[in-house]
Amino acid sequence: MHTVSPGSARGHAGALAALGDEAIVITGVGVLSAAGRGLGALSTALRADAPCWSPITSTLPVPRAAKVQVPLPPWDAPDGPFPDDRKAVLALVALEDALIDAGLAEGIPYGPGRRGVFLGTGLSSVTPAELAEDVYPHLTADQRFDRPAMARDLAPDRAAPRRHLPARVTAAVAARVGAEGPTGTNFSACAAAAQAIAEGLWALRRGEVDLAVVGGHDSMIHPLGLLSFVVLGALSPGFCRPFDRGRDGFMIGEGAATFVLERLGDARARGARPRAVLLGAGTSADAWNATAPHPEGAGAELSMRRALRDGGLSADDVQYVNCHGTGTPLGDEAETRAVARVFGDRVPVSSIKGAIGHTIAAAGALECAACVAALEGGFLPGTVGLDELDPEIAVPVVQAARPAALQVVLSNSFGFGGQNCSLLLGAAPPAGSAAP
Amino acid sequence: MSSPVVGPQTLRPVTLSAVSLFCPAGIGPEGARGGAPGPVPGFQPVKWIPDRKGLKLMSRAVQLGVAAVRQAIALDGTLDELPPLRRALFVGASPQTGDPEDLRPALDKALGPAGFDLDKFAREGIDLIHPLWLVKGLSNNVLGFASAAHDLQGTNANWCDGEDGGWTAILEGWDAVAEGRADLAVAGGADALIGAEGLLGGVACGEGAAFLVWRVARPGERVDPRPHKGQLPPDGSDLGRLGAATWPVRYARAVLGGGLR
Repeated sequence: MHTVSPGSARGHAGALAALGDEAIVITGVGVLSAAGRGLGALSTALRADAPCWSPITSTLPVPRAAKVQVPLPPWDAPDGPFPDDRKAVLALVALEDALIDAGLAEGIPYGPGRRGVFLGTGLSSVTPAELAEDVYPHLTADQRFDRPAMARDLAPDRAAPRRHLPARVTAAVAARVGAEGPTGTNFSACAAAAQAIAEGLWALRRGEVDLAVVGGHDSMIHPLGLLSFVVLGALSPGFCRPFDRGRDGFMIGEGAATFVLERLGDARARGARPRAVLLGAGTSADAWNATAPHPEGAGAELSMRRALRDGGLSADDVQYVNCHGTGTPLGDEAETRAVARVFGDRVPVSSIKGAIGHTIAAAGALECAACVAALEGGFLPGTVGLDELDPEIAVPVVQAARPAALQVVLSNSFGFGGQNCSLLLGAAPPAGSAAP
Repeated sequence: MSSPVVGPQTLRPVTLSAVSLFCPAGIGPEGARGGAPGPVPGFQPVKWIPDRKGLKLMSRAVQLGVAAVRQAIALDGTLDELPPLRRALFVGASPQTGDPEDLRPALDKALGPAGFDLDKFAREGIDLIHPLWLVKGLSNNVLGFASAAHDLQGTNANWCDGEDGGWTAILEGWDAVAEGRADLAVAGGADALIGAEGLLGGVACGEGAAFLVWRVARPGERVDPRPHKGQLPPDGSDLGRLGAATWPVRYARAVLGGGLR
C-alpha cells in the first residue's frame, strides 16, 4: 500500500517545502456573516469579541439571531432569479467578493473544463405561504398526504420545485465562473461546507481542476427554519454559550463564505496573493446513531486525525482548533473530549458561534474564513457567550481573543446524521518568497 | 497555466467487487433488464431494514437507499475484514421533504378563514409537531442510517445534485480507494420520485437505488479504471425519472446485464 500523504515533513515549513508549487492555496475569500461583509469585517468582530446577533421578533421562543445586516441585491425578490431564497443571494454575493479578492472578477485564466465548483448547502426555505397554499390543501381527510395531487396543482404556476433544488446555486456559480469541470452540491447538514471545501482540495490535488470555487451558504432564519430547530430542542432560549457550564443550545445564524482555491505555482504565475494554504482535510462518520452524536466524539477524533494525516502534519504542529462548538450540552463535551485525545491539553480552542451564530450548512465555510482571518491577523478568536467554563471541558478554551502567531490551525464541522469534517489550514508563504 | 494531469498521490488499484440494484424492473440481477416507470416491485422495507425504530424516520427514498447499501455490502462479503474507519460511504440523494403529515395538527390550528396565521402556527401548533420533523427531511439520511447500520466510519459525503449526485458519489468512492482515504467504499444513490410527475413537467417517474462497492484490488483481481459516463452502454428501457439514483441504477444495470464487465 502506498502512502498518499502529500508530505511527510514535520511542521508548516516542512509541509510547504514538500508540496512546493503543488500546495493548494486560498487566493480569494468572500464572506457574508452577521459581522458584516468581507473577511475584514469578520476579523474585526472576532478580534473584538463582538456579539453580532440582534433581537428578532417571533412568536417562537427565539429571542435573537445572527442575521446578515448589510444591504443585499434583490435577487430573492418574487421576480428575481432566486425567489424567497436568501441563502442563494448570500452565496452569489460572497462569490463576487471572492472573485474580486482573487483578481478573477474580469476573467479566469484557466480553461472552462479545468474549473470546478463545490458548495455546501442546507434545507430549503419553505415559506408559510407554501405551507398554507401548497401543502395543507393536500393533506386529505383520511389523514394522508396526497403528493400526486399537490404535484399536479403546483405544476402550472408555482416556482416549486425549482425553488427548492439545492444544486441550482451551484449551477449559478458554475455559470458565473464558466466552470465546465466537476461540480458538486454537498448536503451533509452542518458538515456540508467543510466537506465541499475538502472536495475542492482533493480535486486540485488529483489534477482534475486548476481552479476550485468552494464554500457554503445557508439561512435558516425564516419561520419554518426556526420552528424546525425549536421542535428539535436545539436552540437556546437565551444566549449561545459554547463550553459554558450553563450552555443550553445554539443561536441560529446565516451567512455564506466562498473561496478560490488554486495551486501555489499557478497563483504566483498570475501574480495572485495567497491568503492561506489549505493543507489537508479529513472526513468521518460517527456510524453511531442518525439522531445523536457519539458521546465520546469518536467520529470527531477520526476526522481531526485524518486531516492531520492528509496534510502530512502531526498534532504538535497545530496551534489552534476552531471547534464546531455549538453550545449544546452533548456536542461540546463530546467534541472537546475528542480534541483532548488528539491534542492533549496544549492547543487552545474556541468557538465563534456565540458571535456569529450557527450558520448550519455554511458553518464550515464561515469558520474556515475565521481561520484565515486568524492566520493572517495573528490572533486567537475568543468564545463569545462563555462566562463560566464547564469543568468537564478538559481543553484550554480561549474566552477572549488575544494575539498569537499562528502557522497551522484546524477547523471542525460536524453534521446531524453523524458526518464530520476537519480542515487543516496553514499560513500563506511569505509574499515574494521563492517557491519552497 | 500549468495543468498537471496527475496529482502528487500514487494511486492504488481499485476493483468493483459488488453491485446492488433496486429499480422498477426488479431487485438485484432481475432488475438488470427491461422495466418501465413505477415502483420497485416487491420491495418491502421491513425485510431489508432491521432497525424498526429508524425505519419510521425514513422516507421511501431513504428506505431504498439503506436497503441497497445493505445488499451491496452483503454481496461484497469482505466488510468485516476491514476496520470500520477504513470503510467509506458516498451517496447521491435528493432533498427530502420531511413528512407533511407531521405538520397537520399545527396547520389545523393555524389555518382559518383569514388564511394562514403564522403566529398561531407557532404559538398553538409548535407542541403538536413531531420533534424529528426536521430530521426526517435531511438529505443525508441514507448516509446517517446506513453508516450506523454497518459501522462505516470512514470518509464520506452526500451529494445533492439532481441526477448527477449519484455519479459524483460513484466517482468519489473510486477516488477515495485509489487515493488511500479508504480501503472500501460503498457508493451510489437513491431516490423516489413517484408522485412528483406533475412537479417535473409531467414526465414519468420511478424509484430506485443502486450502490457499488469499490475496494483495493487484491492480487489477481480485475482492476477497474476510474469510471466515466461514456463507458456505459445505452439502456434500452425507460424506467422513468430516477433522480439521484439515475446513474447508479444505470451503472448497476450495465454491470449486472453483462454490458460493462
